[in-house]
Amino acid sequence: MVFILLTLVFLLMRVAPGNPILAALGGHLSHAQLLERERAAGYDKPLIVQYGEYLKQVLTGHLGTTLTDHRPVTQVIAQNGAATLELTVAAMFVALIVGVPLGMLAGRMRDTWIDTGARIFGIVIYAAPVFFLGLLAQELFGHILNWLPTSSESGVLVQATLTPHTNILLIDAMIDGQWGDIPDLLAHLVLPAGTLGLVISGVVLRLVRVNVIQTMKGDYIEAARARGLKERSVVVRHAFRNALVPIVTVSGLQAALLLSGAVLTEETFNWPGIGSELIYYLGARDYIAVQGIIIVFALAVVAISLLIDLINAWIDPRVRY
Amino acid sequence: MATTLLPGEFESGAVPGMGPGDERLRGLHRAIAPLMAVHGLPRWLFWTGATITLVFVVLAVFAPEIAPYGYNQYVAHGIRFPQQAPPSAVHWLGTTVVSEDVYSRVIFGARTSIEVVVLALMFSVVIGVPLGLISGYFGGWLDRVLVLINDSIFAFPYLLLAIVIAFLLSSSVGGGVLTAAIAITVVYIPQYFRVVRNTVLSVREEPYVEAGRALGAKPRTVIRRYVFANVVHSVPVVASLNAADAILTLAALSFLGIGMDPSVAAEWGYDISRGIADAQAGFWWTGLFPGLAVILLVTGLTLVGEGINDTFNPLLRRPNHRRFAMPKDAREATTAAVEMERPVVRVRDLRVWYATDRGPVRAVDGVSFEIRERETLGLVGESGSGKSTLGRGILGLLPVGAIRDGSVDFEGRDLVKATQQEMRHLRGPSIGLVFQEPMTRLDPLMRISDHFAEALHTHEPDISDAEIRRRSLEALGGVRIPPTRFHNYPYEFSGGMRQRIMIALALVLKPRFVIADEPTTALDVLVEAQILSIIADLKNNFDTALLLITHNLGIVAESCDRVAVMYAGRIVEQGAVADIFSRPEHPYTQELMRSTISLSTRKLHYIPGAPPDLAAPPSGCRFHPRCPQAMEVCRAKEPVGIEIRPSHLAECWLHGPQEEIPPDGRRPLEREEIGIADEA
Repeated sequence: MVFILLTLVFLLMRVAPGNPILAALGGHLSHAQLLERERAAGYDKPLIVQYGEYLKQVLTGHLGTTLTDHRPVTQVIAQNGAATLELTVAAMFVALIVGVPLGMLAGRMRDTWIDTGARIFGIVIYAAPVFFLGLLAQELFGHILNWLPTSSESGVLVQATLTPHTNILLIDAMIDGQWGDIPDLLAHLVLPAGTLGLVISGVVLRLVRVNVIQTMKGDYIEAARARGLKERSVVVRHAFRNALVPIVTVSGLQAALLLSGAVLTEETFNWPGIGSELIYYLGARDYIAVQGIIIVFALAVVAISLLIDLINAWIDPRVRY
Repeated sequence: MATTLLPGEFESGAVPGMGPGDERLRGLHRAIAPLMAVHGLPRWLFWTGATITLVFVVLAVFAPEIAPYGYNQYVAHGIRFPQQAPPSAVHWLGTTVVSEDVYSRVIFGARTSIEVVVLALMFSVVIGVPLGLISGYFGGWLDRVLVLINDSIFAFPYLLLAIVIAFLLSSSVGGGVLTAAIAITVVYIPQYFRVVRNTVLSVREEPYVEAGRALGAKPRTVIRRYVFANVVHSVPVVASLNAADAILTLAALSFLGIGMDPSVAAEWGYDISRGIADAQAGFWWTGLFPGLAVILLVTGLTLVGEGINDTFNPLLRRPNHRRFAMPKDAREATTAAVEMERPVVRVRDLRVWYATDRGPVRAVDGVSFEIRERETLGLVGESGSGKSTLGRGILGLLPVGAIRDGSVDFEGRDLVKATQQEMRHLRGPSIGLVFQEPMTRLDPLMRISDHFAEALHTHEPDISDAEIRRRSLEALGGVRIPPTRFHNYPYEFSGGMRQRIMIALALVLKPRFVIADEPTTALDVLVEAQILSIIADLKNNFDTALLLITHNLGIVAESCDRVAVMYAGRIVEQGAVADIFSRPEHPYTQELMRSTISLSTRKLHYIPGAPPDLAAPPSGCRFHPRCPQAMEVCRAKEPVGIEIRPSHLAECWLHGPQEEIPPDGRRPLEREEIGIADEA
């Protein structure tokens, strides 16, 4: 699958009119300089040869250097990717904290007003564009209440004093024992992660609800009741645990949703993640950078599906062997 | 309209006299009819969604007529609109930084969104459906390649793909509705591809396609009809949910400034991106209203999709139970005559009725029996006679909407009147239940040891771990499961072993009364014998009273002391096994005996007709339409229980009481009704 995606990226980038050098630097350099650069990048060779070289480079981890500002693409990925990782993990945390309990409650109390309320919440929150929720959150918590910062990953001072190790600022602060920076970093994280997490929680809620309803119909639920188990342990230990298996599987498919949402959230909150870099490089027509970033997203999808398999094996003994 | 269609009315094959055009119409009817039949909350949500969607479609179509100004108009009658004016009587929702009317922009935004969505859906259906058909029909390497590409696209963050494509397109042909629509189309093709391909694949495997091929019919005809029917069902769901997603994707694209050229059309996402900057300066209205419009339209479309899905997905469907009140039972108690010493359970006139959308179903309708210590009562009858309901009715394990009446006396307590809490304490330690399908009755995620620990802990909170282990292994030893398997998971056992584990799990709590509901039906003959011998040991070792529900008379003869024959919710005959087998008195019991296959069977015997519909049971004796000896009285009056010999009861007019039969009552019933029932 990685292979297919890589090919897709390659083809997309090559069907673009002109070539990457021309698109990015046309107008900035003379015609001779442009030709020189094109030859250096190998764009004068036949497509199939280019494709072969491209695959070789990707597989050996050479993603090239950005055309516009000469950053190694791997560096872009390491620095900005870390910010995206921090954002998405935090958002997923919020989504689970909000979505799972509400979904379980709704599934358990099916067809009561609690269920209806939770369902409508799930639908409406999912219907909200994440950047619009971000706008509302900025307005309320940033401007009216003035509680939280609405932009970027950290305050200026913190940014200046932190030494990058992992590029995940929270972890960097912990490594160096700069505990005083943590509140600032967390404050910056709250609105972006909260907004993205809330949108995803709508999906999680619906997913949990449907699966709880279905497992509650299970034969082993009736059997557990027939043994006189307490209703609470029937629901928690048997129904919810079994509902988790399909929930985890399907939420793996939501990785696409999470990553898409991350791009928009980063734009909304000036979060220096890989998504906002992508938009920036797209605007600059820097195809090398765009190509590298998309490859990372493709790899992230594959990594998430592997992670899902591991989690499922941990929950379900039938998957283990 | 097709509102009078019953769901499932057109389930079978073609209706004669319908051309291909009618067929399409029929598909449409079939698609719509269940939606009309939905009730309650789903219906309310669906229609709310449909209304919202419709309003936006009207706004989109008549945007120039409805909106007071153009989407990029900033002057009227030679006067420039105020800049960033708050909502007022002139500009209902205020104006933007370049003096455009927000209200007009929101309305024209609806037009842009709907245009893009309609185009994108058309493209993806037109491309995705044929691709799915080809892939599914031809299979082979073509199928594999297409599936691989589709799966890759499907797993990839859809927005990124749309961004890249929209970007590439807009740098070559310029941004606009078409560019955005194409970018979104690429994202949704895989979904239609999947649905259609899977439908075609599943129909190719169907036995009737195979059968048709063997008979020389063209499989293509069958496939076409089946695929069409399924696509009619699934594509609307996918489409309305996609439409919702497409609106969000479009808004995201224009928020990022990709794909839509803001000078050619108004777009909500673009306005929100302006709104973020405005809001920081205090101009909240420019972003708020376009945002609300997105939420409203996407919510509407989602509700429509969910409504359709709720209706067609059998897993989510919920019948509309009509509430009912159970009338008091006017009949006399039928078996009061039998007196036995110290019964463990005494059931009197137990009735269990289910609520359905056709009204109450009288699954158990006035049943009385008793079981003593160390005694096994066999309960036999056809499928649907109410046997299993009776077993669950005693334990109070009934679905929502079921009502119980009568009395179940267990150790001096009436279980029908007991609270949920009291019942919970009785289930397990006092009354055990063994189920029909052992494969699905154990929690697949829990070790066998955890099942035992949980059950023991619940009812004996102070029990030690060592004691749990000792008692569990003892119970498992009784059903010949070796201690080495104690910590295994259910999936590591065969069906027969799981059933033995279920029995051990019931016995470890030492119940005085066990209900075994067809414990061997799902198992093969050798395992069946094993289970039966375990059950026989059980009553000897623990003095347990046992209710053995089965449809197998052989099992009754072998393992029961007494037998009760159930028909259509009533026990029509009960007595000692030897009595009933040697001298069955009720015509139904006689017919049942004749239907049994044995070594001397020359010709299969069956009882003509089918078990009655318990929502509207036949008048009088419920067996009269199928009874070979039916008389006039059987149709007119419900039979009374008669004690034919000590402890042998039957409910049949053939045995009286004579004084209750009207003068003409003994005339044989006209036979035509059997013929009708037989065809049903």
